[in-house]
Amino acid sequence: MIGKLVAALRERTGLPAAPATMPTGPSLAYVFGAVLMFLLVVEGVTGFALAAFYAPTATDAWGSVAYIEDQVPGGSLVRGLHHHGGSAIIIVAGIHLVQTAVSGAYKRPRELVWWLGIVLLLLVIGWAITGYWLRWDQAGFYSSQVELGIAAGTPIVGGVIKSLALGGNDAGNLTLTRAYAVHVIALPALVAAVTYLHVSIARRLGPTPVVTKSPRATAPRWPAQSFRDVIAMAVAFALLLAFTLAAGGVDLAAPADPTSSYDARPLWPLRWLFELRVLAGGAEQLVAMVAPAVFGGFLIALPLLDRRPERAPKHRKVWLGALAGMFAVIGALTVASFARDANDEALGKRRAKAEVQANKARALARENGVPVTGALDVYKTPPMYKARALFEQRCKNCHAAESKERKGPVIAPGHGDRAWLAQFLKTPSGDAFYGHTKLATTEDAMKPVELAPADLADLVELLYAESGAGDVDAAKRERGAKLFESACTDCHSKDQGVVSTGGPNLFGLGSRDYYTTFIGNPKSPVHMGPDKSQMPRFDRELTLVDRDAIAEYLVWLRTATEEDLVKLGPL
Amino acid sequence: MAEDDPDRRRFLGVATCAVGGAAALAVGVPVLRLVIAPAGTTTVTGPSEPLDLGPIDRFRVGAEPRKVEIIAPIVKDAWTAARNVVLGAAFLRRPTADKVIALSAVCPHLGCAVGWDAAAKNFLCPCHDSRFEADGPKLDGPSERGLDPLPVTIVDGRLRLTWVRYKLGIAERETL
Repeated sequence: MIGKLVAALRERTGLPAAPATMPTGPSLAYVFGAVLMFLLVVEGVTGFALAAFYAPTATDAWGSVAYIEDQVPGGSLVRGLHHHGGSAIIIVAGIHLVQTAVSGAYKRPRELVWWLGIVLLLLVIGWAITGYWLRWDQAGFYSSQVELGIAAGTPIVGGVIKSLALGGNDAGNLTLTRAYAVHVIALPALVAAVTYLHVSIARRLGPTPVVTKSPRATAPRWPAQSFRDVIAMAVAFALLLAFTLAAGGVDLAAPADPTSSYDARPLWPLRWLFELRVLAGGAEQLVAMVAPAVFGGFLIALPLLDRRPERAPKHRKVWLGALAGMFAVIGALTVASFARDANDEALGKRRAKAEVQANKARALARENGVPVTGALDVYKTPPMYKARALFEQRCKNCHAAESKERKGPVIAPGHGDRAWLAQFLKTPSGDAFYGHTKLATTEDAMKPVELAPADLADLVELLYAESGAGDVDAAKRERGAKLFESACTDCHSKDQGVVSTGGPNLFGLGSRDYYTTFIGNPKSPVHMGPDKSQMPRFDRELTLVDRDAIAEYLVWLRTATEEDLVKLGPL
Repeated sequence: MAEDDPDRRRFLGVATCAVGGAAALAVGVPVLRLVIAPAGTTTVTGPSEPLDLGPIDRFRVGAEPRKVEIIAPIVKDAWTAARNVVLGAAFLRRPTADKVIALSAVCPHLGCAVGWDAAAKNFLCPCHDSRFEADGPKLDGPSERGLDPLPVTIVDGRLRLTWVRYKLGIAERETL
């Protein structure tokens, strides 16, 4: 049945009726090309799935990758397979190249096949580089910066290359859209076309006979070679899957931050160049250009240099020796580069810190989403971030309980609630209140309010009501108002805008508006007046929006506990 | 055993297909799982609470329906979180002082946005010419039902509207 179907298809596609044969018979030596084709397909399918989630813009790229990695079921695995699959292609291509070189398969008439293979290797490395940029995390972003910096050093055309890659003058949206277009359209199309040429020419010329003493007989490709091919593919994928699972997928650093210093390293196939640059010191730019040119040039020139028909390795020691030497140098430089990093303790610490940062950013992205203003703003998504950050910078020194330079009342959870007000009224110059201020040492300091507990509670209720809180006891407040008239109005007013003689006006005490204007200018006549407060005015340093944000935070603190504060998470 | 032994060839052929198929599955399953993951899940969140449309006095008693933008305070869309996102529009009318009628501007036919035809004093969908009365019932055209009402309440003199999306193209009103 299947045989008939195959025959019918052969007829209708114009393919030869006889199955393809291999003049040298099947061999495990021939599986590497098939494995490469298979891995290219793996990259294609995993790449499609990733592209279905990825957004190539400077604001969204990191967020979309973090989403794939941390929020979509199976995203981490597919991204890991795609990343390590790229590495696998470079490794298998390297084996394929060495094998081709050792067996002399680049010799006439197969020079074109060899050169097309070199082109494919370059395209694949370009694929890896552009793919790495797309993450737009610290690692990808700084790689793009360094790699384009090197490209810019190319004589004459360097500036143009960099500008084309960036899509203008600086890294941004166009850098990513371009890298993406190259990564998912241009490179796949080019690789497909060159692979087609590479394979079809190789097939037409037939495999290079394996150099053995006993000649092999011609045999059909199917099924003996096909079986060897699929076994090799299955082994390759099993290894890739095992490696990906063992490595826990692939890392994702914190979002690209142009203000931070980050220990960027190129992808492993380029690490030898990185090490070479370190060793070259002042000549790094030259080395970065010349070394790959020498290596690439040698590979391209090999079929022209080693021209004699002799293919047995023992007769081609010079050329194979040169190739082995180059690979040895590249391998040694790569190992040296990784070893240098592994032995660098300070780097280890910086990496650990960068990982903490990455985990923080990813946790925030999972929890709060990435703001549309950009991935870096993910750090600002914890609740009341802005107010807390401002408090940290501008208020904490004088108002935090733990501050050694405290100059004002402690501001902490419960600030301005009933208990706080009662305690304040009883001991206005107590340690947690005005105790640390200059005012407390002067005659203008507020006198403790001496009232029976029930009366004090009534007065507290009146003051508490000024905050606009919703849980006010109206009866207590009424009674408190009478107490206020008799006990407090010598110094304080509660009427909006009225300047009272001894102390601050208490209109709206503890409300968001009150805090906003107080922070703006504590020395205002309706607040502390020009002489009684050491607190600087912030209306010229902080915008109204910032002061309002702090005020919102202070209002929140009134009903918050220490645990609530911890629950907000670190800044 | 020779390479051209028919039994061996048959076995190798079957084995090749089996191993190849297994490899294809091993690659295909995780990929397919990822691609279909978002289907059937809430990737774009809507507002979880009724939206405040401001004081009721904004709407004059007896006036023609007025178009109001429905703005969600926060919308999580896959990886992003955006503030003040316009979700759609509603037409609001206040026939009597204590009654407000809100109609979704989404045409129940196929989801275009209907507009108020001031000359005809009814709603018209520009895509397929469905017409609806000022209070929502269908007048004319391919729509299977009238415009969808949106729940509104008046709390402390302020209007609160619940944004609902309904299935399109059917006579019944089913929420999405």
